[in-house]
Amino acid sequence: MRGSFLWRNRVLLTSGALLIVSLHLISTGVHPGDLAARPESAFLEIISPVDAAFTRLSDGLSSIATGYLDLLHVREENARLRNELARVNSDRARLAELEVENRHLGELLELKDVLGAKAVAANVIGSDATGLSRTLMLASGSSDGLRPGMAVLANQGVVGKIIAISPHASRVLLIDDHNSALDGFDQRSRARGIVAGLVDDGLILKYADRSQDIRIGDTIVTSGLDGIFPRGLLVGTIQSVHRGAPGLFLGVRIEPAVDFRELEQVLIVTQPPPHLDDPAKD
Amino acid sequence: MRLTLLFAAFVVLGLAFESAVPHLVSFRALIPNLIIILVVDLGLRHHGVVPAMLAFAIGYATDALAGSHPGLNAFMMTMVFLVSYEISTRLMVTNALVGATVVFFGVIATALATVAFADGFNALSDTGSMLPGLTLEAAVSAIVAPFIFSMLAASKRMTGLPVRAKRE
Repeated sequence: MRGSFLWRNRVLLTSGALLIVSLHLISTGVHPGDLAARPESAFLEIISPVDAAFTRLSDGLSSIATGYLDLLHVREENARLRNELARVNSDRARLAELEVENRHLGELLELKDVLGAKAVAANVIGSDATGLSRTLMLASGSSDGLRPGMAVLANQGVVGKIIAISPHASRVLLIDDHNSALDGFDQRSRARGIVAGLVDDGLILKYADRSQDIRIGDTIVTSGLDGIFPRGLLVGTIQSVHRGAPGLFLGVRIEPAVDFRELEQVLIVTQPPPHLDDPAKD
Repeated sequence: MRLTLLFAAFVVLGLAFESAVPHLVSFRALIPNLIIILVVDLGLRHHGVVPAMLAFAIGYATDALAGSHPGLNAFMMTMVFLVSYEISTRLMVTNALVGATVVFFGVIATALATVAFADGFNALSDTGSMLPGLTLEAAVSAIVAPFIFSMLAASKRMTGLPVRAKRE
């Protein structure tokens, strides 16, 4: 047995078989409810509490480091008040954090009222593990009423959509990921296009006709035609318009309205937007 | 079983670290790719069916937390395992320097292959601006790799697992 062809090449044969399985998964995709989606959901469920703990630990260490620096400064001035000041600083940092969180949640509530659709808030607990894609991890999942395909928003504008879910965690594909696409239009000229991410960071408006009057500083909003994002949500502003770009369409770069790195809380629209007509006909 | 449990623990911590820390660190390239380091260790030091399946499982676990094409990281990690395995069977030594070199090229090759797979080979022409950051990430990962290998070796000794692969 040990000298046989199969035994000698067991690693190569196993790896080959696993590569074929991977290619099959890539080509067919994994849909919610598939057998192949179960391990993914289980991994997400296992990792999310550890991830949340890491985030809390990092926040805590950051607070301690800040507190320690404050403490050193205070010691130089007055050693007697050191402990008191540290306590006050710690309380102040905690209160400031609560205040920021309250403000974010308040703004999300306002956004929820403006939308007039059912929505739930969720905390961001992590980002893409490889850094090659632009995704976020949320501390809410299917037990909170979330489903794949739901729109994710911040008070500044559109964030992305849910692509994977487990009972207590979910992953969001950001709109600036190179595999993301959403239907948007220029609010001033009504020119429509597809807002897509780029591999080398950034956001563009694809398929904008050369005859369209798109200008730098114009606002791009969602059209609602993709059936995911409610109409009229801010996507970003036009950063540059390249009329000399090769091909049939304009080269349009967009500055996203949302700073994705600064996101701490987001709002997930749990109610799909109503069917709409083309905004270019307005 | 011990090998699976040991790597499962390292993978959970590694993935949680890579997912949580980028949210706090402004420059993503400074965060080492711990997952590739683990897979390279598997390929260099553990030759068998179970390590190959572990590499696939590590990739699939990464798919749960990264990217939008399930199976892509599973494919990449299996490839990294296979290349590491082939290198270890052809070289006389598989020390930390060899491991660090494999990690360096593994990080760059995996990133470029992921872009090519996800967006087509034309998208590789857009990766020019990615390369400096990618090279830095690969260098940081290569520098960190010997420490992770040492940690793994210590953990393997503690659990009674072989630290080096048997020559075939």
